[in-house]
Amino acid sequence: MSTSTTTKNASPGLVQRLTKNWFYLTLVGIAVVSLVRIVTDTNDLDSAGTLRAAIISTCPILMAALGGLWAERAGVVNIGLEGQMILGTWGAAFFTYHYGPWVGILGAALLGMIGGLLHAVATVTFGVDHIVSGVAINLIGAGAATYLAEAVFSDYEGGGPRQLIGLDPPTIITKTPVISEAALDLADKHWFFVSDVASVVAALTTNISTLTFIIFGLVVASAWILWRTSFGLRLRSCGENPQAAETLGVNVYLYKYIAVLVSGALAGIGGGFLALVSSSGYGAGQTGGRGYIGLAAMIFGNWRPGGLLMGALTFGYTDSLRLRDTDAVHALLLLVALALLLIAALRAVRGQINGAIVMGVAGALVLAWFLLTDSVPREFTVMTPYVTTLFVLALGAQRLRMPAADGQQYRKGSAG
Amino acid sequence: MPSEVDAVRLRGIGKRFPGVIANHDVDVTIRSGTVHALIGENGAGKSTLMKILYGVQKPDDGTIEINGNEVVLKSPTDAIDNGVGMVFQHFMLADNLTVLENMVLGAEKLHGIGDNARAEIRRISDRFGFELEPDVLVERLGVAARQRLEIAKVLYRGAKIIILDEPTAVLVPQEVDALFANLRELRSAGNSVLFISHKLDEVLAIADDITVMRRGTTVGTADPKTATKHELAELMVGSELPSPETGESTVTDVVELELHDVTLTDEFGRNLLSDISLAIHRGEILGIAGVEGNGQSELVEAIMGMHIPTSGRITLSGEDVTRWHTRKLREAGIGYIPEDRHRHGLLLDSPLWENRILGHQTEAPNVKGPWINRSGARKDTTRIVEEYDVRAPGIDTLARALSGGNQQKLIVGREMSGDPKLLIASHPTRGVDVGAQAAIWGHIKRARKAGLAVLLISADLDELIGLSDTIQVILRGRFVGTFEPSTVTPQDLGAAMTGGQTV
Ligand SMILES: Nc1ncnc2c1ncn2[C@@H]1O[C@H](COP(=O)(O)OP(=O)(O)OP(=O)(O)O)[C@@H](O)[C@H]1O
Ligand SMILES: [Mg+2]
Repeated sequence: MSTSTTTKNASPGLVQRLTKNWFYLTLVGIAVVSLVRIVTDTNDLDSAGTLRAAIISTCPILMAALGGLWAERAGVVNIGLEGQMILGTWGAAFFTYHYGPWVGILGAALLGMIGGLLHAVATVTFGVDHIVSGVAINLIGAGAATYLAEAVFSDYEGGGPRQLIGLDPPTIITKTPVISEAALDLADKHWFFVSDVASVVAALTTNISTLTFIIFGLVVASAWILWRTSFGLRLRSCGENPQAAETLGVNVYLYKYIAVLVSGALAGIGGGFLALVSSSGYGAGQTGGRGYIGLAAMIFGNWRPGGLLMGALTFGYTDSLRLRDTDAVHALLLLVALALLLIAALRAVRGQINGAIVMGVAGALVLAWFLLTDSVPREFTVMTPYVTTLFVLALGAQRLRMPAADGQQYRKGSAG
Repeated sequence: MPSEVDAVRLRGIGKRFPGVIANHDVDVTIRSGTVHALIGENGAGKSTLMKILYGVQKPDDGTIEINGNEVVLKSPTDAIDNGVGMVFQHFMLADNLTVLENMVLGAEKLHGIGDNARAEIRRISDRFGFELEPDVLVERLGVAARQRLEIAKVLYRGAKIIILDEPTAVLVPQEVDALFANLRELRSAGNSVLFISHKLDEVLAIADDITVMRRGTTVGTADPKTATKHELAELMVGSELPSPETGESTVTDVVELELHDVTLTDEFGRNLLSDISLAIHRGEILGIAGVEGNGQSELVEAIMGMHIPTSGRITLSGEDVTRWHTRKLREAGIGYIPEDRHRHGLLLDSPLWENRILGHQTEAPNVKGPWINRSGARKDTTRIVEEYDVRAPGIDTLARALSGGNQQKLIVGREMSGDPKLLIASHPTRGVDVGAQAAIWGHIKRARKAGLAVLLISADLDELIGLSDTIQVILRGRFVGTFEPSTVTPQDLGAAMTGGQTV
């Protein structure tokens, strides 16, 4: 009947395309890192120790980002992730003290979910502005945790008004037979590529918390649920066009509630990880703004699981690097420079000349910085994680596209 | 075959909004197995009534019977369970989801969300000639494709009672014919269709029964076998049927807008527009005919600075404006009536006077220096509301609360203010009733006499032939024929639009 010129999907952002070909990306990535390691002679750049630390600092951010993803895909901006995380740290400590670490994790999720419930009631039922409610939750979360810690933990063994230490962590895999040793040996040889792969294997098999695997599993599960099931489709439709969803018989309020509750629970688990795995107990102010960083990772990850995973990993890695070895931060400059030049080349191939030039110039500048200096000033190393994450994600993601009705007020019966 | 039990009986339906009585004492009966047309002026309450029947809004009074059973519809879910499906006057689609996702949403149980659903969509699409690609983002679709998708959504769900609220406003005659063929088929399969349109020819062609609404209530019925267009128009708005004839030519020899070999390619290197050249003089209306999706939107967006042409040149009053920004173009005196008023023309949750400022936020009477001139904007909104007969309780009403036709009138009024040099009008009378249509045509004709140049895109071939000084036919991004409106017939145009004939 018609002679319309149908057009295909827009070419997805770089982050998306690369995360789709994640296998090749990983291979190239390892090769580049390996090269930089050998050229700069900083073996700590990807030693098993560095990687283990990186994974530990990634997990909480990843959970916050994933929580943000759930809420925002259903159209609710959840800036209260930080508060929900704080509640999670307290919940983990309290329940672990009484019932052991696994119940502790569930407790963390429960407390985070309570934060999520508050947010859902405020934003979905009463139509409070999402940011206002989120900020309130952060204040309430911090306040409640402080109060509860003082009231409850003071009398506990190992406890005080601002902390509760000496808690059991969830099961740790200390050594995997054969593999751990072999991998560590190989990594110590410092060969090109092979040793780097061995480092990764060693990090994943030695002294690693089972909770880490669960957390990565949750990312995969979320991606599957949100994009491959009808439940996920309905949830996402609430974030794209709730009026349209309503006219098709979707109970928009219900899906928004579910999403925000899950969001809170995930942030809570992130808090639980901080209390039980990153350290061995509750401490006031433990989250240190990781909820916000998670939110940023999600935004620059283009509201997609692959993107936010990349954001969280970048942040976690650079954060652990700066703590372990400041020399490695200098080597990192070379890594960033190479990454930028690679992106520049990619853009040039795709005919995006302007983008290629910007990227190329940035890459050249960072490269010059690396070549002309021997170390990075101390003040700067503190901000490396933030700067690098911003750099990688902001430049990698081309067209950020948030859910169309994200953060908007929705009332039933407004369709048509 | 009409059966004994009526498909729908609405009795004494009433619905009040703050400051408006949208429906009162409405009685409508839809016999099963028939196509029932509902007509009436803008703001008569047609859409409100349909939303009540679909469970989106609750009636204040009255009862609803479906297939003989009295029902209370708390939400669309209840209506869907009762076999009701609805195509809304304004699109209910999520831009960032694919055709498939929009289609299966809420009906995942039928064919899943994967390959089965894909196959079913292909089947419906082939059967009805909808040309829907399941995996394309809806964002990429033009208005006609969106309209077809909306209709397909209802078919996919297998609804027994189908409400179509102005489904044909942006479809060209061939597409309307195809749709009507489907409706007749659905009717003979025992389904009932409720059809709303301002195009009286269509109503007479398809309807078995006609109900007329005016000022919130049903004022009469008409028999499509005996009624004429003129009688229907009388019943609806109490006035004569207008015709778009322009009278004598006012074309001057001063060129206002000129395009030289404009080509636009998408990111895959395909041509959306190929070597488009045109010139519009002061006092001239250039009509563009074409099946939607053949480059009309891209042409408009190229002129409005929303896309920069890959090659070619655009001049306005002799000045090269090819790379100008939309803001600057508007300030230079271009008025723009977008094809989709909800996506591009209005802020639905803002009051009318703020919508008056939209797109004209740097021009008098909306601003004074760097500040918004509240009183100026409000006064001018009142003027538009009066001159264009926008039926609204007041200028502080939210745009969302206006009926579709009244929203359209507001946009036309806004874009015609400040004496533009050039008007880009996509479907300017989309969804307005016959009376308001005449008024809008009158405004355009008067401005044209005073030297306005107009680029007119319309699916209504009578409007196109009646208003234009020249008609260009666009097909796959190229101009494929020039027609003289005084001699061309809608049939000729129709053939050229589908590539049947070039001149
Ligand atoms: N949500 C709402 N809030 C307030 N008033 C409303 C709302 N929806 C509709 N109205 C008012 O109810 C009246 C009927 O509107 P409705 O949309 O039913 O008209 P319509 O017959 O469909 O007109 P059109 O032909 O222009 O689409 C109008 O005066 C409109 O302003
Ligand atoms: Mg209407």
